[in-house]
Amino acid sequence: MDTAFTLLAGSSRRLVAELRDALDSCAERQRQLERSLRVSRRLLRAWEPAETLAPEPTPGPETNEEAPSAACIPSPQDLKELELLTQALEKAVRVRKGISKAGEGNKAPSLKSGSIATSPATRASYPPSTSHRAGSRASETKPPRGILQTRVPTKDLPERRLLSVGDQACMGQGAGATKPKSGLRNEQIVLSAASQAPEAFTLKDKGILLQLPEAFRKAASRNSRLWAQLSSTQTSDSVDAATTAKTQFLQKMQTTSGWPGPRLSATEVEAEVRHLQKACLLLRLRMGEELTAVVEQQLGPWPEGRFPRASLPCGGGADPIWSPQLLLYSSTQELQTLAALRLRVAMLHQQIHLEKVLMAELLPLVSKQEPLGPPWLALCRAVHSLLCEGGQRFLTILREDKPAD
Amino acid sequence: MGRRRRRRRVDPADAARALPEAIAALSQTLPAGPSPETFRRAKFDRPEAAPALWRLLFRVLSPQLADGASASFSPEAQVRSVKLALRTQGYPRRALAQLPDDGSQGGRELLLALAWLLARGPLPERLLTQNRVQLGDEMPVCECEALASPGPPAPSVEADGCVDIRHLQWLMGKLRFRWRNLMASQQEQCALLGKIHSYTRGCHSDRSLGHLSVTETELLRDPEGGRQLLRRLERENARLQAALEWRRRELVFWRWMDTVLGACPPEASQPTFLPRIPTPGTGALEPLVRELQALQGELREAVEARRAAWEAGVGGRGPQWSAARTALREAVGQDLAALRQACERGGGCSLAQPHGPHRLVRTEAGAPGGPGLRAPEVIEALRSQEARLEVVLRQLQGQCRQELARLVGAPPGPVWILPPGR
Repeated sequence: MDTAFTLLAGSSRRLVAELRDALDSCAERQRQLERSLRVSRRLLRAWEPAETLAPEPTPGPETNEEAPSAACIPSPQDLKELELLTQALEKAVRVRKGISKAGEGNKAPSLKSGSIATSPATRASYPPSTSHRAGSRASETKPPRGILQTRVPTKDLPERRLLSVGDQACMGQGAGATKPKSGLRNEQIVLSAASQAPEAFTLKDKGILLQLPEAFRKAASRNSRLWAQLSSTQTSDSVDAATTAKTQFLQKMQTTSGWPGPRLSATEVEAEVRHLQKACLLLRLRMGEELTAVVEQQLGPWPEGRFPRASLPCGGGADPIWSPQLLLYSSTQELQTLAALRLRVAMLHQQIHLEKVLMAELLPLVSKQEPLGPPWLALCRAVHSLLCEGGQRFLTILREDKPAD
Repeated sequence: MGRRRRRRRVDPADAARALPEAIAALSQTLPAGPSPETFRRAKFDRPEAAPALWRLLFRVLSPQLADGASASFSPEAQVRSVKLALRTQGYPRRALAQLPDDGSQGGRELLLALAWLLARGPLPERLLTQNRVQLGDEMPVCECEALASPGPPAPSVEADGCVDIRHLQWLMGKLRFRWRNLMASQQEQCALLGKIHSYTRGCHSDRSLGHLSVTETELLRDPEGGRQLLRRLERENARLQAALEWRRRELVFWRWMDTVLGACPPEASQPTFLPRIPTPGTGALEPLVRELQALQGELREAVEARRAAWEAGVGGRGPQWSAARTALREAVGQDLAALRQACERGGGCSLAQPHGPHRLVRTEAGAPGGPGLRAPEVIEALRSQEARLEVVLRQLQGQCRQELARLVGAPPGPVWILPPGR
């Protein structure tokens, strides 16, 4: 009976190859997703401080706002302030250890000691606005969202921005011109010290304090500007002249070659096949709508002369020049729905393709065999399941026994 | 008189500089580009120019290789790979195939090959797009890439032999399982992205983006990685700038290439027999032919049924009938024209339609937001695409059901009890 289930060698190879290919492309997507998931999960955990940073020297005074990531030199005053700060922090750590030894394990004490640590620093470096900041920072009634966070109106934000843990001082220059460099480094020291204390950096608590490094910001905005320029230089006079020159060159290449006339290269054959495959799918989609009244009711009558973009698989053709485009979403749910639908559409494409392949190989198999023996019925049942139920369900076959003579 | 700088030719010094500057720009935008001097030597077919040009062509024709990976290919392997790739694309000159494999000769021919590739399409832009630095969290809004994949490789000759259909059932089950896993992982990733985006809101210097992406946040977490990213970004910027320069100056290059082509002896037109390269597309031709035949058959059946129903409905052949028929003809004609256009546009996706990867940006609910696609619109489009594809799948399954029922035979054959849930 088992032999009935066996397929011909040729069919076997093709079907197995197709299914393996489908499995492989799924696996590839999964691998990419896993990679992204690893990175994202790590970002949402507490960040390990990279190294304990020695204070990175900064270049001269406020004039050079865009400090390159090269080495910078501290001034004696900075070093003195640093010394003061370090002492204050050491004291804070001692205080905290004392408190936790006393058995009070909740967050409020650490908050307090943390505030004590920051207050001297901020007082040292921001004399003009000390009262405002020290006041809000030293507040103990703040919810335990981290010692360094403050809720401020947007306009103040540039002055409050702190560096991420482990970041280089030079990379993290603030945008506000009023911000003294020494103060910046002090804050950074605070952060490093703070990260050594139990108050590690988490994105949830302190994410909004992050700021991208100046060098990176400039490079990134230059990057998107250049891409936009590149994709817009598609039409101009010089381009047309160049296009003509190129066409003429290609023609000359063809005529001076030893081979006769234009032949279709392998790449072109492949492209044409893909083109035709997409055209077939388009036709099938169109036919599908015509033959299903239900669909027309749901989606409205087919607008003449215009294909709603929804229904079309993208052709692509020559790779378009990428230029930055945005996709705006407003809630996690929305994003999940979008992503799920995308996967669903991809899966449906694959299922349709497999269905066609299976039909081509399995239906002839059923029709060729001698009918009505039990092995054949078993085969039919298997084929039916694969072709009509996506391999998920099986039907039951009832057979009447021949009446005994 | 005034400086008439309409054309560079006015100033001979400018004209002399124009070509090397154009070539320098080209060289900078391509990976592993050689110096303008190498190009000049190649025109005169100097042997010292050949190796650099072989290397350049190899990098250009296999962009998927990482920067360092090409070193693992021997020079001979690179030469053979270049030859095969050019033949596959239909390079018209025989001389290239006849160059020695050790890569020691052929400067001028290689120069011509490079120019041929450049003339056929936007090569520098394409290379830059394929390897670009992704700064945002991107999601494609179409299935272009997935559909463009070449399909399974030709099944190996020493294959598994005959296969049990139950193995196929098992493979299908495995596939279903993988899709489910994929869905779950995808949902988790979206949840994490949502969190990262909202935890970093307001942090981005670019107000239209608002929050950081995973890449940007990661560079803050890992400064060393951040430095590498910055270096990659700066390299890409240099290449982009060079590409813009190239586009401005390339005309002089093409004039020069004319002279290079002129310097070549004309190829004799005797046919040489080169080994056949296997055309990968032929494996897909058979199913394509089958598909077209199937479509034709289905269409014919459907048309006959429709026509009969319509004629019965209209009843009689009065003036109403001819008016209705004309209107119908027109509607069908327009539909067909649209369909033909869609097919000709390479499957229907013009560049104006949403296409390709988009950077995800989280906005506050209710905020108008700036330029860009809105998620609800994309969801809408995807839903209707899903519905249409489901229709097609059901139809195919329905056809199978009918065909199997026919093969099994009418009663008093066995009775088929379909599974529940239909």
